[in-house]
Amino acid sequence: MKGRKLISGTLRLALIFAVICGVVYPVVVTGIGQALFPYQANGDLAQLGNATVGSYLIGQSVNNSPYLFHVRNDSASGVDPDITVASALAQALVIHNTTNISIAYLDGLIHNNTQYSMFFFGTAFVNALSLNIQIIDHFHNSIAVYAKIYNMLNDH
Amino acid sequence: MPFRWSGNQEVYSRPETNEDRISWPHVLRDSLARMNPLRLIENPVMFVVELSFLVVLLMTIAPGAFPGLAHRSDRVFYAYVTAILFVTVWFSTISDSFAEARSRASAASLKKLEKEGIAKRIHVNEDGKRTIEPVKSSELRKGDIILIEKGDMVPIDAEVLEGIAMLDESLLTGESAGVKKSKGDTIIGGSTVVSDSIVAVVNANPDETYISKLVKMVESSERPKTPNEAALSILLLGLTGVFTIILVALIALSLLLNLGADLSILIALYVCLLPTTIGALLPAIGISGITRMSRNKIIAKSGKAIETAGDADVILLDKTGTITVGNRRAHQFIPLGNHTERELADASFLSSWNDDTPEGRSIVELAFSKKFIPKEYDALREGVYKEFSAVTRSSEITLVDSDDFTLPKGGKGIFQRHRFRKKFVLETRLTDETIIQKGAPDVIKEVAKSIPDNFDETVTRITSEGGTPIAVSVNGDIIGLIYFKDLIKHGIRDRILGLRKMGIRPVMITGDHPLTARSIAGEVGIEEFVAQAKPETKYQKVKEEQAENRVVAMIGDGTNDAPALAAADIGLAMASGTLAAKDAANMVDLESNPSKVIDVVMLGKQLLMTRGAVTTFSITNDVAKYFAIVPVMFVSIPALDALNILRLTPHIAVLSALIYNAVVIPALIPIALRGTKFRPQSTLKIFLKNLFVYGVGGVLLPFAAIKLIAILLVIMGGVI
Amino acid sequence: MIGTGYLLITALVWATIIALSWGLSKYLKKVYKNEKTFLDKLLNPFENVIYRILGIDRDKGMDWKEYFLSLFMFSVFTVAISFIVLTFQGMLPLNPMKFHGMSWSLAFNTAMSISSNTNLQHYNGGSTLSYLGQMVGIQFLQFTSAASGIAVAVAIFRGFAGKRGGDRNLGNFYTDMVRTMTRVLLPLTLLLSLILIGLGVPQSLSGYSLVRTLSGSFELIKVGPVSSLVSIMQLGTNGGGYYGANSAYPFQNPNPLTNYIELGAMMLIPTSMLFLFGLMLDKKGEGRTILIASYGLYAIDLAIALIPNTGLGPGMETRFGGFSPVLYTVTTTAFTTGSVNTALAAMHPLVILAAFLGMMIQATPGGAGVGAMYMLMYVMITVFIVGLMAGRTPEYLGAKISAKDVELAIVAFLSHPIIILVPTVLAYALGAVHAIGLGNGPVGFTEILYEYTSAAANNGSDFLGSSGNTVFFNVSTGIVMWAGRFIPILIMLAISGRMYDKKRSPEVALRTDDLIFPAILIFSIIILAVLTFFPFLAVGPILMHLEGIGNAL
Repeated sequence: MKGRKLISGTLRLALIFAVICGVVYPVVVTGIGQALFPYQANGDLAQLGNATVGSYLIGQSVNNSPYLFHVRNDSASGVDPDITVASALAQALVIHNTTNISIAYLDGLIHNNTQYSMFFFGTAFVNALSLNIQIIDHFHNSIAVYAKIYNMLNDH
Repeated sequence: MPFRWSGNQEVYSRPETNEDRISWPHVLRDSLARMNPLRLIENPVMFVVELSFLVVLLMTIAPGAFPGLAHRSDRVFYAYVTAILFVTVWFSTISDSFAEARSRASAASLKKLEKEGIAKRIHVNEDGKRTIEPVKSSELRKGDIILIEKGDMVPIDAEVLEGIAMLDESLLTGESAGVKKSKGDTIIGGSTVVSDSIVAVVNANPDETYISKLVKMVESSERPKTPNEAALSILLLGLTGVFTIILVALIALSLLLNLGADLSILIALYVCLLPTTIGALLPAIGISGITRMSRNKIIAKSGKAIETAGDADVILLDKTGTITVGNRRAHQFIPLGNHTERELADASFLSSWNDDTPEGRSIVELAFSKKFIPKEYDALREGVYKEFSAVTRSSEITLVDSDDFTLPKGGKGIFQRHRFRKKFVLETRLTDETIIQKGAPDVIKEVAKSIPDNFDETVTRITSEGGTPIAVSVNGDIIGLIYFKDLIKHGIRDRILGLRKMGIRPVMITGDHPLTARSIAGEVGIEEFVAQAKPETKYQKVKEEQAENRVVAMIGDGTNDAPALAAADIGLAMASGTLAAKDAANMVDLESNPSKVIDVVMLGKQLLMTRGAVTTFSITNDVAKYFAIVPVMFVSIPALDALNILRLTPHIAVLSALIYNAVVIPALIPIALRGTKFRPQSTLKIFLKNLFVYGVGGVLLPFAAIKLIAILLVIMGGVI
Repeated sequence: MIGTGYLLITALVWATIIALSWGLSKYLKKVYKNEKTFLDKLLNPFENVIYRILGIDRDKGMDWKEYFLSLFMFSVFTVAISFIVLTFQGMLPLNPMKFHGMSWSLAFNTAMSISSNTNLQHYNGGSTLSYLGQMVGIQFLQFTSAASGIAVAVAIFRGFAGKRGGDRNLGNFYTDMVRTMTRVLLPLTLLLSLILIGLGVPQSLSGYSLVRTLSGSFELIKVGPVSSLVSIMQLGTNGGGYYGANSAYPFQNPNPLTNYIELGAMMLIPTSMLFLFGLMLDKKGEGRTILIASYGLYAIDLAIALIPNTGLGPGMETRFGGFSPVLYTVTTTAFTTGSVNTALAAMHPLVILAAFLGMMIQATPGGAGVGAMYMLMYVMITVFIVGLMAGRTPEYLGAKISAKDVELAIVAFLSHPIIILVPTVLAYALGAVHAIGLGNGPVGFTEILYEYTSAAANNGSDFLGSSGNTVFFNVSTGIVMWAGRFIPILIMLAISGRMYDKKRSPEVALRTDDLIFPAILIFSIIILAVLTFFPFLAVGPILMHLEGIGNAL
């Protein structure tokens, strides 16, 4: 009798928690989250024109394109969206050489997007996708390579 | 030599006497016999070392039987390891044998007290006539009635039935002063009657006497583990388990990962890590506790009792005998009203002349020392004079022969004695019908016709100073007070201070007035006391403290004390006390010195500390042993040499660590037997000192010692 | 040299968490002492429904056996539910990506892993688990294992508090679980989830979306109920991430702020439990002792890990720089959480050594609830060994430590090396190590030893990841994780049950609530840990370091 009570009690508790913690709680959080922070809750999706081109949080490979900033492929997640400012400045030189976009503009862009791993100090980094989207957005009317990308993504 | 311990001395050391001789051939033989695995299995740590010895022995003989783990070329090294492992086990059995031999030696000296002699057994015939038959003391049985006369040795433990006699217990206690024994008192086999004779009833069979119990306790090989010993044994077993897992895992990994470890080195690491030091010395520490108790003539009914003593939170101390020496003594005559000291002294002298209580004697002595010999001395001379006899116990006339007081020749007098309430009042009837009364102030006040103005005030003053006032009246007029003072025992103040420093609360129990009690307690540094104690007070106090989960130690001798002794966690009975008290207590002091309860507590503490210290030392030693052996363990991993902070070559490292591991056992035998040194001070200080010496020292010392041994080995010609 | 700024940030995190924990512990005391709280009005009716469904006497005090049996049966049922969901997720709802069910051995390993608060992951959640799998297969167990750890600790605290504590025996398992869930974990996770969503952690049930990237290729945006899971996995010191890369994956840990919030979240409950111990005993000093000892050991771990100056390199995430992965790795092992924000293989051997120490000690401060429990085990052993040197039968909280207590504590201590070393040896002996491509060298040995140490310590961080998804590793670590969870819980509950019945002496010889004892405790724990594991660490991470191997990459 005691054993049966133990089994029925613990089984019921497990089932109740499965429903509360496994279903009700995540659904409620999803509901509130979607209502309060729809942009973040759906993954910080990046728009270029009208097209969704990825998530700002997920680094995307740009196939060694000399017109865009490249992310690292040796990070822990494999999708690190950020590059160090040092790397960005070096890449900016390449982009400047291929596109003639002024160094001042590129450096300014990097500067405006710089964040730090320790808030105010530590590793300085920028979001590569963010830089790329801002460049494409800014130059898709003037520079052919960027227009090509812009149109490819917005034609569909 | 009387037992002494004071706050300034190191604790508990009654020197070994010449009688405590140890038979070394016996120790050697016994220690080898103890290496029998079937006996050694009781000590799992050393048993495992012995197994390790056998494995390495096998490696020496047949290295081929250990493929991948032994090398034919290293056989000489294996032989060395084998020898050191053997010696390690042997050192541990020697320490047991030595401790036991020492114990037996001290028992042997006790046995001498139980000399076989001829006793005088009284046989009561059918017509009620008594006859005396001589029997061997070993043939006496419980219930036999015996006669012991002046010059006889008490053949066996007995209780006095008739007579009063002086006994010399010096063989037993080392105190040469005679002890008076009368009806109801216990006498112990081995003491001698020095005056008068007594009839007594045997209360123990020959093998049940206190001496034989003490001997048995000391010689007993069946020594049940005390609670802390049992817990420590489990800890050691657990550590052995941990290291066995490590050994097995290392052997397996070495084979699987081709790390190239030699089995003898892994075993050496294993043995070094095992808590061999405490494993080897734990039994010896336990035995030494019993030995040291017996040296101090205390019978503990179990080893547990000694250990529990170390846990005491509260000690109930009887004022009389523990804090003060015996009884109080007259200290001063305080005349009241317009009476003179001379008048008071005379009256006191006369009234005490036939009073053989210690108080009465001390009054006569005080008067005599002040040269106050009463002029009514003639009246005494005319009295009927009868010599004191313990047999007749006459209440008519009593004269006391004292060492420091000689009665003027031919003194005579007629006296009558009455008892009022608890205190005595003596009525002296002289030729001119003078009545002298002496007694407790309240009693005398009740029967007195006139009371001096400052009577109450003086009584209070004496009481609050820790004294006891006795009032004296002549023909109903109170003429003054005798100031009685307690004599504080030498050194007791320091010892009580020691107790308090160690966090043990002494509580003084006394029948005295609270003011007196407070003053005496204050004088020796006791904060808590129970005054005007009744027989049941001790029991109540024990129960009260225990209800708050305190561990209570107490002493007792009377039948009244038996319930309290039985209830107390540590009960020390006086051998001179009643049988009931001794049965109820878990320890009996043959010397009947109540203040030894403090020493029992200190000994208990010391035993616990010794166990803890050696255990800590044993465990912390492992750090250095790791650093000696691990770097050289895996032949195929040279990079580990960076950890080789002692810079030793493999074989030297292993041998040095093993030798250190072995020699530390005999090196610590003295600590195991004597106990770790400590002075009574705050527990925290003692603890921190032990922690520093045995914990921190235990980490550091072996680094130096192993390096030193390694240097010696290299100097000695590079064994390998 | 580690810059002052890094140490300041660390100090700031510690100070914040210790302050928050102190506040939380006062609330926890009210919860477990059944005192009034501000949530009563809201929660009482809700809880009453649960109690009615359970059909139990919620006021009944349980002894340690009943408490343990209830916990154990409950855990078995939760594993069964999770196992079924993971195995059959392909046929169950909330599977927009149409993932298949797990193999039996992987499902077994996963259910055992999450239910034991380990969260060793031989699966890659982001690409193999359906939403229901994440929610009921994983997240549900993360709640129950965290709650049961807390409940067990509370029961143990009641036992240590003894009859004076005013509790009926060790308390009631059901009540403790329900109250932990409704009054502690759910409110805290709800709050943390929303904060994390606001800071960029996704929370969605609408399926992965396919987008065309700037380079023209296609990419899956793997959003799901991430935030709700991350909040419990951190707060409950579970550590099992939504994604294979765990908190290195940007969705799980998008920026430095979320990183430090998540870091702090895993410290919160274990630290509160240390305070709670003092509060439930009504002896704050005793709580302070285990707090100082835990954080002292944590600081020592960190100091070892900071010897090499780790800079940002391969296997790390740019946004976290080089310092944070070290702090995070040490913290996640010190609190036996197991989530990581870097690849362990990127860490210097001395960081790995520090991680090992955290998992071998398990009380630095250890996991939610169980960390305090392990610390009490060390306290019992330490008090016994050194306490004798104060010249008195060793006592903890006034209760004499008897042979039986020593036996229990030492068996609990002993179980840890057994369940680490025996399977490590077996893994080599049975060829399982070579089968996943690892060798005999120090790197391979470190990874295997780490696998079982992490499993036994219920930590969950590992080098193997999905490569550990073999029948041998799934089954062996599954068993080790449960042994590492329930053997010590069983034993410590037994000790606590004994403590409950013990007389308490008002006098103490060796104080455990001063500032000296924590130092002794730290010394003793290090010696005990060193004694047990030194040779194995020597041929693992220490050897890697000595041979100049920078990391396992």
